[in-house]
Order: sequence, then C-alpha cells, then structure tokens
Amino acid sequence: MTAAPVLSVEGLNVWFDISGGELHAVQGVDFDLRPGERMGLVGESGCGKTTTILALMGLLPSSASVAGRVLLDGEDVLAKGEETVAPHRWRDVAMVFQGAMNAFNPVKTVGSQIVEPMELHGVASGRAARAQAAELLELVGISGSRGDRYPHEFSGGMRQRAAIAMALACSPRVLLADEPTTALDVMVQAQILDLLVRLTEDLGLAMILVTHDLPVVAQVCGRAAVMYAGKVAESGPMDTLFHDPRHPYTRMLFQATPDLYGDEQVTSIPGAPPRLDRQIVGCPFHPRCDSAFARCSDQEPVLRDVGDAHTAACHLNDVPAQVAQ
Amino acid sequence: MRGMDYVVKRTVFALVTVFVAITLNFILFRALPGNAVTGLRCGHCTKQFRESIVKQYGLDKSKWQQYVIYIERLAHGDLGTSTSDNRPVWDDIKQPLVNTMPMVIAGTVFSIVVGIISGVVAAWRRGTAADSANLWTALAFYAMPTQWIGLLVIFYIAIPLGLPASGISSNTLGILSTPSEWSVLSDRFSHMFLPALTLGVGLYGEYSLVVRSSMLETLGEDYVLTARAKGLRNWVIVWRHALRNAMLPLVTLIALSLGSIVAGAIVVEDVFSYPGIGLATIQAIDQRDYPVLQGIFLILTLSVILANFIADLVYFKLDPRVTT
Amino acid sequence: MSELIQLVDAPVPEEETKRRGIVREVLLGQRVAMIGLGILIFFTFVAIFAPWLEPYSTTQQVGPVYAPPSAQHLLGLDDGGIDMLSEVIAGARVSMLVGFSAAAVAMVLGGSIGLLSGYFGNKTDIVLMRITDYFLVIPDVPLMIVAAAVFGRSLVNIILIIGLIYWTSTARLIRAQVKSVRERVYVKRARALGGGHSRLVWKHITPQVAPLLVANTVLTIAIAIFAETYISFLGLGDPSTISWGRLIQNSLTGGAVFHKAWWAIIPPGLCVTIVILAATMMGQAMEDALNPRLRVGHLSVRRFRLRPLRGRLDSE
Repeated sequence: MTAAPVLSVEGLNVWFDISGGELHAVQGVDFDLRPGERMGLVGESGCGKTTTILALMGLLPSSASVAGRVLLDGEDVLAKGEETVAPHRWRDVAMVFQGAMNAFNPVKTVGSQIVEPMELHGVASGRAARAQAAELLELVGISGSRGDRYPHEFSGGMRQRAAIAMALACSPRVLLADEPTTALDVMVQAQILDLLVRLTEDLGLAMILVTHDLPVVAQVCGRAAVMYAGKVAESGPMDTLFHDPRHPYTRMLFQATPDLYGDEQVTSIPGAPPRLDRQIVGCPFHPRCDSAFARCSDQEPVLRDVGDAHTAACHLNDVPAQVAQ
Repeated sequence: MRGMDYVVKRTVFALVTVFVAITLNFILFRALPGNAVTGLRCGHCTKQFRESIVKQYGLDKSKWQQYVIYIERLAHGDLGTSTSDNRPVWDDIKQPLVNTMPMVIAGTVFSIVVGIISGVVAAWRRGTAADSANLWTALAFYAMPTQWIGLLVIFYIAIPLGLPASGISSNTLGILSTPSEWSVLSDRFSHMFLPALTLGVGLYGEYSLVVRSSMLETLGEDYVLTARAKGLRNWVIVWRHALRNAMLPLVTLIALSLGSIVAGAIVVEDVFSYPGIGLATIQAIDQRDYPVLQGIFLILTLSVILANFIADLVYFKLDPRVTT
Repeated sequence: MSELIQLVDAPVPEEETKRRGIVREVLLGQRVAMIGLGILIFFTFVAIFAPWLEPYSTTQQVGPVYAPPSAQHLLGLDDGGIDMLSEVIAGARVSMLVGFSAAAVAMVLGGSIGLLSGYFGNKTDIVLMRITDYFLVIPDVPLMIVAAAVFGRSLVNIILIIGLIYWTSTARLIRAQVKSVRERVYVKRARALGGGHSRLVWKHITPQVAPLLVANTVLTIAIAIFAETYISFLGLGDPSTISWGRLIQNSLTGGAVFHKAWWAIIPPGLCVTIVILAATMMGQAMEDALNPRLRVGHLSVRRFRLRPLRGRLDSE
C-alpha cells in the first residue's frame, strides 16, 4: 500500500452528444491503480465501464466531451486532450479489446501488427522487431513462427493471446483488458486468465480488467470497483466485496451469479438501469433496490470509506442499524 | 502455394464459361428460326449465290453438324465472313478493337480513380456537406443514360471549347505535310478525350457509392480502433489499414460492372462516331451483318470473361482469407 | 433473464452514440424514399393517362422542324415538326410500362430461383447457383443487343429479354434472405411439427422475404428503364412505339446538336434520369431500412472535447 499509484483517476466525467441532449455516461469516477495490481471494473452492460477505460487512452469519438484528471505518474494526460494523451498510447497504457476476433486487420500478418507499434514508438525495427515479436508470441504461449500467419488462421483463444502479445509490444506499465474472455469457451477462458495473472506478476504490470462476469474478476483480481449508472457504487478487496458488501447492488450481483463460492440461490436483478440522458434524483439504484428507504429517492448517496480500502455509496452505511430496516 | 486449388478452380470456371458463351453464340445465331440467310439482306442475290452461302455456312446440314463445323472454324480463328463487305470478320473487327482499347481503358481508369477518391473523402467527412454533395452527384450521374451524357457533353463542352466530337483523327491532319508522331498522337488523344470522359462519368457514380459505404464499414471495425490505440496517426491508419480492406468490394463491383463498361463503350462510340468496336456493332446491326455481329459478341464476351478472371485473381491476391 | 430483456430497451452509452447516427440516417432515408415514391407515382400517373394528357398529336407535324419552345409548344418541336411535350408524355407510357413489366419478370424469375435455392439448399442450391454464376459472367449488354437484333423488335420481346437478363441479383438476394429465415427457430419448430413445404414457405418464409423482394424489385425497375433506354437508343426498340430512349436517339440522328435544339435533347433524358433516381432512392432506402448496417466510425478529423472540471460533485 505504500508504492505510489501508477495510474490515478480523479473526477472522470464523460458526456456523449445525442439527438436532443446529452448522455452522461461516466459521472465522476475516481480510483488509483498501483504497480502490479490487478483491479476489476465490474457492472452491467451500459454502466460506463468501457467508456471509462476508453477515456483513459483518449479513444473516445468526436461526440464525446471529457472532464477530470487522469494522472500517469503524476502527469495529467487529459490536460490538453488528444495532444497530451496520444504520446502515452501503447507505450505506457495498452489495451486488449473486447472481441479480439476483429482487433487484427485481416489482410496483414499477425506478426506485422505486433511489430507496428514497436517501429512506431522506436522500440525496435526491422529484424530485431520481428524477433521481439516472435518472443512475445512465445511469452503468451504461441509458437513464434506463427507471426507470419494471418489472423483468420488463428483460433479465437489464440487470437486473444496474440492480442495480449501485441498489447505488450512496447512494454507498457498499465494493461487495460475489456472483456478479454467473453465469447471464448470455458477452458480457453481459464487459460487466458491464468496468462494475464502470470504476465502481470512476471512483468510488474498493473491491470484493469473490465467485465460483467463476476467469476472472471474473482479469479484474477485482488480488488474491484463496481460501477452502476456511470458511478462507482462500491470498491474494495474482492473478499470483502463478497463477504461484506456495503451496497445492495454488489450483494445482489454476487447473488445473481450461480455457483460462485457455493450454491447460493440464483436470483436476477429485476428492472433496468436508469437512463443517463436525464438528471437522476436520489440514488440511481433505488428503483431496483431491495433495501431502499425514504432517503434513497431524493438524496444521492456519497462514496465514502466503510472499511479498510473499502468504499461504498449507499445511505445504509450512514444510518445506525436499527433505523435501516 | 496458398489456394492453388482456388486458382485452378477459377481457371476451370473461366474455361467452362467460355465454352458456354461459344455455344450460346451458336444457338442464338443459328439454331433459331430466321437464320442468317433468310435474314440476309441481299437484294439482288441470285439463287446460286444463296445456295453457295447455304453451302458455305453448312446450313443444309443438321444443327449438330453445323455446331461441330462452327467449333472447328473457331479453333482456326475463322469467325466467318462479313455479309456486307465479304471480308473475313476478323479483318473487319481488328482495327476497331485496337481503336476502342485505349479509350475504354482511359475511361475506366478515370472512373475508378475518381470513384475511389470521392468515396474515401465522402466517408471521411461523413455527414458533412461534402458527403451529401458527393452522394447526390454520384447518384445523378449513375442515373443518367450514358448516351444522354454524351449528347450533353457535345452540346455544352465540345462545341463551346472547340474539342473534336467525332471520329478518331482530324481530316486536316497530314494535308499540308507529313504529320509528326507527336501530332498524330496528340490528335488521337484529343479525339479520345471526350468519349473516354463520357464513359468515365457514367461509370464513376456506382464506384464512389460503394467505396464510401465500404470505407464507412471499415472505419467502424475494431482493428481501426486498435490502430488508433496504438498511437498511429489518422492518415496512416486509413492508408495502411483501412484502404486495402475497403477496396475489396470495389474489385468485386468492377468485375460485375464489366457489362456496363461494354455497354457504355458502345453507346459512347455511337454518339461520338468513334470508329471502335462499339460503332462496328451498331453498323453490323443496321446492316443485318450477322456474322460480324456474332464475331463481335464472341470477342466481347471472351474479353469480359478474361477480365473477370483477372479480377478474381486480383481479389485473391489482396485478401488472404480467400482459400476456397 | 428479465434483466436481459429490459437492458436491451434501456439506452446504453456506447449504443446511444450509434443510435444518434442511425436515427438521423433512417429519417433522412425515409424522407428520400417518400420523395422517390412520389416521383414514381407522378410518372405512373402520366404514363397511364398519357393519351389524354398529350396536347398535340404525336404523329402529325404541327410546325417547322426544331422550332424552339413557345407558349403553344412548351417544349418546342422535334426533327419532324412534332410537339415535343406530347412525345415526352407518350414516351413515359412505354418507358414506364417496359420498366415495370421487365422488373416484374425479373422479380418472378429471380425470386423463384432464389427461393428454391435458399429453401432446399444442397444440390438444388449448388446447381442453381452455378447456373447463375455462368449467366452472370456473360456480359448483359452484348447479350441484350444480340437477342434484340435476332428476335425482332416487339415490345413484348424487349420486356422478356430485359427481364430474363436481370434476374440474377434478385435471386442472390432472396436466396440469402431465405437461408437466414429458414434457420430461425420458429421455422424449425414448424418443420418439426410436420408442416408441408408449401405451407411452410407461404406462411413463414414469404412474409419475411417479401419486403426485401419489393425493395429489390423497385431497384430493378430503375435498371429496366435504363436498359430500355439503351435498347431504343441503338434502334432495336419497337419501331411503332415512342419511348424516351427513342427520343434521345431521334435527337442524335436528327442532328439536334447542330440545330442547337436543346429542347429535343434535355427533356427525355431528364425524365429518364429523374425516374431512375427516384426508383433507386426509394429501393435503396427500403433495402437499408430492412438491412441496417450502420456503425460508429472510430476515426474522425474531429476529436473528443475537454471540459473544465467544475469542482468535485458532492463528494468529500
């Protein structure tokens, strides 16, 4: 807990222009990431988790506007938008995308696409670069000579590994993985996750793993932030989140996942997330919450400490136990 | 070698199609009522002449035998004899073929280049005025009949600018002195310019629209986002990653539009009185010169089949995913 | 599961930006389609009521050759001294008739082949598609020219020839659509329940395929009119009828260019262009609506924007 964070996000907000107004996709997200740490960013589809990590690399479309600070070793990379964030792409922060199926250009060889960022950022070039690319492939468990093949000749799992190898091409300090195992079958999923764990440990990488799939986070991450409706609902160590959740959404999410640590009853969370194109009054989760009470519908809860490195945004943490029921 | 069997397959396909075309040619012209003789425009033909024609074309034999003779003749490069000037068909269409080639190639290249540039720019500036302008212009030219474009070109461009609008060379060339090679060449070029332009303008619309939509689709692909994430600059991404993927549908489209290219060439030559194979076709129709018409049809069909085959190979070279 | 279904309805940030683009394009597409439809209806009306709409005779000379437009003759006279406006109106009849009929022929032929091919698959599919492939490689226009030259020049023949040449794209499209519909769950269920082929096709597949077929047919109308213009221009059309293509040819052979008679050149070509544009716009808009494939582009000249942080919201 004493090492300085390699990545610090402060008050990140993202808006998208839509016909008839704005969508407030990310509403004030803060977190720190320390070197070697693996953090999960969890939530339902549309909660803003993908938008958050895209914002970290400045990969948002022109319909987006961003506020907040993203500190990489203390320097705010969003200070001047594209200008300040572009130099850090791939060199300091790299990304493995959702659906690596299409992350590779089908008409070029896999190897050439790994070499590409190396040559662009001056890490290596020519034969040296190709050799390094082959080494990276070996590192992720693919035979180095396969770099001369085309993406369609790789299986889904292999393509994902190759995407990871490509992400490591310029030895970044932070790896952002967006749903790296969705659409892969279970056996392959486990292998990829093992690989990610091994790599972050061996290379001292910090990683943010974005997913809606709780067992994945549980297997890989030491910490997680649960996002809901563009905000962080709760954040803390994995064990604590499971055994002592301080936000009903976290608790219900874990309950909704079958066979996580035992045979819990499987329930799905009824209802839908709120629309983000209009102002939300009160706690965004209250319509679906099973523990909501009077205050929840008109006062927005604030993210506060509820334990050791454990924060949650829920009114239930403010009131004495008797009143809460 | 990758996909050797693909190349073999396409070659076989091309050959079979050639065979089908030859047979179709025969069927259309011979195996139907109103054969080449009764349709023959021959005002003062004597009975003996008619009989000699019948013998020459083997019209007194069975259809099957005629077919065999036809194939045999073809194998020797004999396309028959023109009924209007009694010369071998091949001699009649040789020169027009040579005249047409540069004009058609120039027009097609023009349409491809303009189509690609306008399509890429439109996709890049999607939703802006430039995009809409391109869309409507391309659609408008696509909808215009090529012959009409030709007439408008003559009316509003050729005459005001004094550009030649008919024939392949000026009558005045070589009257006073032997013209230099350069002046012959530039004279030819000036006659070729407007027909080629007309052809190209009529073609480019479709290409532009396809390039635009294909480019848009490509720009939304994940590997483009990955490239951006790697730190590549926009134009590098377009040039190195997007373009090649976006061009693939265009190759297919060009292959499919070969029929339109031929059609356009015929019409353009008619309007501009350009002595190429298109004009020869029209003259053959007017004169009911069926052997020549048959020969032209065969040559045109074979050219298109060949061009299609080449397009298949080009696509194969560009897209490594093609193996079947 | 209920969660899943509802999530689909809720606007999701990433999809919302796509939606903005899609909504705008669909609305524009709808407006365009409506305009196209309007134009087509207008010309169909003119075509149907042509004999009553023509101000003058289309066979009698009513004035000097290539007389310019005047109050009595809005589009002037052609190379035979005949009223241009009347001819253009008469031409609408033939051009529209050929366009619609030939497209109908292509629709029936292409639709049937596509249906058979897509529904039965296997050998039928392979054989039919192989035939289509060979057919496609033979260039349409020389074939059309030759057929028109050989079979004589009646309107019916022209319609048949055009229809028999342009059915292939319809066949391909319908085949793909039928294939994907066939794989849908409810069709499989119906088959398992023992539905006969024709019943299955009629009740389940046709409704799914029909809209796309209509869209494609509208596009084919554009192509058919283009083809008719072409054939007439080459002098292969029915000599007893007037069509827009024939009028364009007349302007060439009659030397309209040398007489500076733009009124003989522009109107017929303009009509053809407008009708083809209308049909293309409408057909394309319909096809796009049925097959939406719009995506967000990842590259743009413009960048994402920055906002100053207006102070932390609520926390601490």
